[in-house]
Amino acid sequence: MFRYNICTLFLLLAAFLVQQFVPAFTGLSQSRILIVHLVFLCTAVTVTTPTMLLLAFIGGTLWDAHSSLAPMIVDAEVYTQPVESLRFGYSILLFAAMGFLMQGLNPLFREGKWQFSALLTGIAIFLYLSAEFILISFVRGDFTITRSIIRLLSYTSLVTMLFSPLIFWLLYHLAKIFQHSLYPEARKHNLR
Amino acid sequence: MKPLNLIALLLFLAGATWALTRSEPVVREIQVGYFKTVSPFLKSGSALETKSRSLLRETKHSKALEAELSTIRSEIGRLRIIESRFQGMERENAELRHALDFKKATNFEVVPAQIIRRHPTTWWQTVEIDAGEDRGIGIQLSVLSNEGLVGIIDRPFKNRSSVLLITDEKCQVSVRVEGTPEVGIVSGQRGEFDNNSNLRLRFLSKNAALKPGQRVFTTGRGGIFQPNILVGSIVSVEKGPLDSEAIVAPAVNLSDLGTVFVVLSQNH
Repeated sequence: MFRYNICTLFLLLAAFLVQQFVPAFTGLSQSRILIVHLVFLCTAVTVTTPTMLLLAFIGGTLWDAHSSLAPMIVDAEVYTQPVESLRFGYSILLFAAMGFLMQGLNPLFREGKWQFSALLTGIAIFLYLSAEFILISFVRGDFTITRSIIRLLSYTSLVTMLFSPLIFWLLYHLAKIFQHSLYPEARKHNLR
Repeated sequence: MKPLNLIALLLFLAGATWALTRSEPVVREIQVGYFKTVSPFLKSGSALETKSRSLLRETKHSKALEAELSTIRSEIGRLRIIESRFQGMERENAELRHALDFKKATNFEVVPAQIIRRHPTTWWQTVEIDAGEDRGIGIQLSVLSNEGLVGIIDRPFKNRSSVLLITDEKCQVSVRVEGTPEVGIVSGQRGEFDNNSNLRLRFLSKNAALKPGQRVFTTGRGGIFQPNILVGSIVSVEKGPLDSEAIVAPAVNLSDLGTVFVVLSQNH
């Protein structure tokens, strides 16, 4: 179990490297495959709560390092309404929230029904991006939803979700290598 | 809740609080460390993206390319004529300056750079260029193309920089409208992720008499952008009870940027 947990940590770090090779689909409202989020969400359902929280902390910190903007230092007399950005570290909390959501389906996953978790990754990513957008609107004021935003949320969630079986397959084989069972309830059922 | 889970949750909340309360220099250090680690992969990723874009460009319809080539050829001819006229004027100007012992007051030094990565983040309108601190690039320097204003340097790193495009809501530019006394602040619009999204020009006077097609230039106020850089042209005007707003089409085709120029000098 311990070796598997360490392995998931390295898998999350590797996801950050892979993410650098994944461009945005400019024709699809700049939607993208969120490999980092996908690996975290798939892993969250296979590990215990403390490990999930550790992964959420590391994943959230690195994701914010990857994407946070610098503050604008401007002449306040001209730019009277500066536009704020999201604070560094907010992703840690969002990662953890989505991790807890994924763990809600843990009993089904332990029975070997990974399909429900795969579907939930898409929903979790949609919720994660929606929460990010709501936070941006809250910080900057004026809440408006455009078609472009709906397309970005939908396409990103959908294309990312399509890769979840691959990540579960990878986790299954890693667990096998480290002699850890991802579906202990299914195993017991089979033994009976 | 199990005691172990409770301890983990408390430790997690302490960690999250630590991260949320970091100052800007600490965040910058974390970012520098992160990008230093992923730098070799960023290079490979950027190269892959550039290759795929050039491949897509090559597969454009040949007739469209031929038409484009013919337009470019005629444009080159026109520009050559203009250039020869400018060379004459430049010579004349130099002679006059020399005669008047006129000291050059401005120093407009630029660094050319290539776009190597587009929109690396989910929400922000940014691109990455292949020039960084090693070529003298610092934070909040304006970035131009030969068509007009592109954006501003957001985060410079050793050999690459992140550019915040003018289509981002955070990039605010003080501008004036050509041929009118109207001045305002132009910025991107939230939630516009399609190619060539328009900008919003705010804080115009209530009865601003603007027409579609009028050009918008930087004022140079605010300490970031040099004056008289073309930003875009007016598309439409929306009159409100207190002030007016206008929609501005960017002068630069931001979806097809190749080479940009970072203005090192801040002298106006």
